[in-house]
Amino acid sequence: MTEHTSSLPAVRGGQEGAAKSHKPALTHLFWWFMFAQGGVLAAILLPVHILIQGILGPLGIVPVVVRHYDTWVNILGNPLVKLYLLVLIAFPFFHFAHRLRYLLVDLGVPVARGVPAQVVFYGGAVAVSLVTIYILLTTVPISFG
Amino acid sequence: MPRGWWTRRPHYFWYIVREFTSLPLALWLLWFLVEIRRAQDGSAGYHPHGSLGFVIFSVIVLLFALYHSVTFLSLAGAILHFNVADRPIPSQLIILSQFALWAAASVVVGFVLIYFGRT
Repeated sequence: MTEHTSSLPAVRGGQEGAAKSHKPALTHLFWWFMFAQGGVLAAILLPVHILIQGILGPLGIVPVVVRHYDTWVNILGNPLVKLYLLVLIAFPFFHFAHRLRYLLVDLGVPVARGVPAQVVFYGGAVAVSLVTIYILLTTVPISFG
Repeated sequence: MPRGWWTRRPHYFWYIVREFTSLPLALWLLWFLVEIRRAQDGSAGYHPHGSLGFVIFSVIVLLFALYHSVTFLSLAGAILHFNVADRPIPSQLIILSQFALWAAASVVVGFVLIYFGRT
C-alpha cells in the first residue's frame, strides 16, 4: 500500500521534502485554452463577419441583418445568437491579449513581461467579456419567438 | 535584441505582422460591440455605420484577418497529432481539414447574416 501511494506525484513531492509539488497547472491550462480557442474562433469566424458586415453590406451589395433595426433586433433577442456573439467577441480577446503583450515584449518593451502588464492585458480581456455579457443581456430582451 | 531587429529579415517582419493582426481585429470587434449596443436606440435612432471610411477600415482589417486565419490554421499541422489505426494522419490533411472548417463556417455564417437581413 505504501509503495502504491508513494508512486503518486503529490506523494512523491511530499517525500522530496522541500521539492515542489506536482500539481496540475490549471491556471496555465485555462489561459492557454482561452488563447487557443480565441485564435481558432477568430480565424474561422471573423473574416466572413468583416466581409459581409463591414464591406458588402455598407456598399449595398447584399442585405445584412445588422443594417436594419427590425431584423437586427429580431435576431438579437434569440438566446442562441446572444451566446454565439458572446463567444465570437469574448474568446478572441484572450488571444489578442496574449499576442499583443508578447508583441510589446518582442519590440523591446520589457515591462510587458511583468505582472502589472499581465493584469492589464488579461484583465482587459476579462473586462471586455463582462461588458459583452452586460450588453447582450441588457440591449434586447431574450426572446424565444 | 537590437532595436528594429524585426525589419532585418522578411521572416521576422511577417512574424511581427502576424502578432500585430490582433490589434485591428480587436478594434473591429469593439466596433461590433458598439453596433450591438446601438440597437437599444430604437428604430428612429438606429443608423448603422456605412461610410466609405468604415468600408476602407474594414477592408484593411479583413486583410489582417485573412493573414491571421491562414497563419493560425496552418499551425494546426504542427500542433495537432492524430493516429488512426496506429498510423499518423499527415499534417497536410489536418491543415486541409482546418481550412475546410473555415470555409464551411464562413458559408453558414454568411448565409445567416444575409438571409435574416432580408426585409
